[in-house]
Amino acid sequence: MAETATVLVIDDDRDFNTSVRAFLESQGYTVIEATSGHEGLAKLAERKPDAIILDIMMESLTEGYSVSAAIKHQPAYKDCRNIPIVMVSSIQKSPDERFPFSGDVGMIRPDRYLTKPIDFTKLLEILKTVVVR
Amino acid sequence: MTEPGREDTIAVIDDDSAMRLSCKKILSKVGYRVETFEDGAQGLEGVAGLRPALVLVDLKMPGISGMEVIGRVHGIDPQIIVVVITGYATVDTAVEALKRGAYDFLPKPFSPDELRLIVKRGLERRRLTLESLHHEVERALLQRRFVTFVSHQLQTPLVAIHQYLDVMRRLGDRQDARAQQQEWLERCLKRIEEMQALIRDWLTLAKVEGGRLASQQAKVDLQPIVAEALQRHQEVAARQGVSLQAHPSEKDCYVRGDSTSLSVLLDNLLANAIKYNKPGGSVSVSTEVEEGQIVVAVKDTGVGICERHRPFLFDDFFRIPSGEGEKAAGTGLGLPICKKIVAEMGGSIDVESEVNVGSTFRVSLPPYRERAGEGGSRESPK
Repeated sequence: MAETATVLVIDDDRDFNTSVRAFLESQGYTVIEATSGHEGLAKLAERKPDAIILDIMMESLTEGYSVSAAIKHQPAYKDCRNIPIVMVSSIQKSPDERFPFSGDVGMIRPDRYLTKPIDFTKLLEILKTVVVR
Repeated sequence: MTEPGREDTIAVIDDDSAMRLSCKKILSKVGYRVETFEDGAQGLEGVAGLRPALVLVDLKMPGISGMEVIGRVHGIDPQIIVVVITGYATVDTAVEALKRGAYDFLPKPFSPDELRLIVKRGLERRRLTLESLHHEVERALLQRRFVTFVSHQLQTPLVAIHQYLDVMRRLGDRQDARAQQQEWLERCLKRIEEMQALIRDWLTLAKVEGGRLASQQAKVDLQPIVAEALQRHQEVAARQGVSLQAHPSEKDCYVRGDSTSLSVLLDNLLANAIKYNKPGGSVSVSTEVEEGQIVVAVKDTGVGICERHRPFLFDDFFRIPSGEGEKAAGTGLGLPICKKIVAEMGGSIDVESEVNVGSTFRVSLPPYRERAGEGGSRESPK
């Protein structure tokens, strides 16, 4: 049987993490949780996931962007650069497709973006597309 | 009224050279910087460059009239004070000038004192307007930030509840999901309670700020209010294994306020003292008269507050992170509410704390004093 895909969920609300985990596990995924960018990066070092779900607003308004920038640029995470990142936020994407706060923090465009509450069907579709298994 | 600072520039626009000289002399003598212009056109150019605080302009000039200058100066900067100098001070001319936006008019001939006085008053008016504009902008920003914050705080639990319910809906029949559903439902209820607490505190804060929490300010005996507050918290303290101790004063402790606000104040302080305490710990509430002030001290044997967090303690929504990425339960509005209530009563609140030893919050209130015309009314019992 094929090894299950692993998803790392980074969000400061543990109920968000729990509900995402419950759903993804029911679909056969293995889920790792983290409640801060810091913890998320530590978990990343322990075990490479196949995808990352990352909240934008945690400790600071744009912490998610800082974390994704670290993953994409810092040498410590060079093995993780190609891991697809799905960023999530309760803020709607603006009509012209610009990501929340993207004007302020000169940033990394996330691979995918989902608004909260997550549409689990869309999440599954995205994971099926980006996770190479 | 404060004396003018050297940063107050005054522009004088008058075709009469003697008048220009005279105004310059009179005003520079008391420290203003004065620039003069001989006609409306040059005057407006000068004002655009100088951005003076005040403009003195003669109504009767060839070319652009003084009357027209008023509007044009305000086109450059609406906060510039314009005083018109009138030769034939008929009521009509003066009224017309005021209608056009002049602050005041000065009929010729005028004395040096009259000139200085009108300038002083004009500048004071300007200072007050600028100050209140600044406050308005600041308040609007704070308001918007507060609203953004609160809406985010309400959104977060709604997201959690939505996702739990969605998972339950999708996985309802499955055996493995059934087992966990109890827990998820508990979490949904918990998050709903949190939202209700937030809304409640938010409204309390709004009421305190709008002066609507108190229906009347009267002579209030603090001690029974403290005693009642302690009663209200007995159960939750017992559950946490924390003992409550009262140390009332033998002296009278009357303050000017209302029992509702004081109850809210004490509830918030007691709730914190119990929440941040250790099992087996204690909370002691003392009331005392110190140096003429009524002081209520709420002392706990809790986790204490570190220096790093101290400056933010009374900020809206600040909560001490309790580690592991989970913010402490609570709305973060308790202390800001206390601060506002205390401020409304003309008192002060401060804290002494030592990490792992405990914190003492001290509220200092002015004692009740009768005001002229009052008959020493006591707040009517509810």
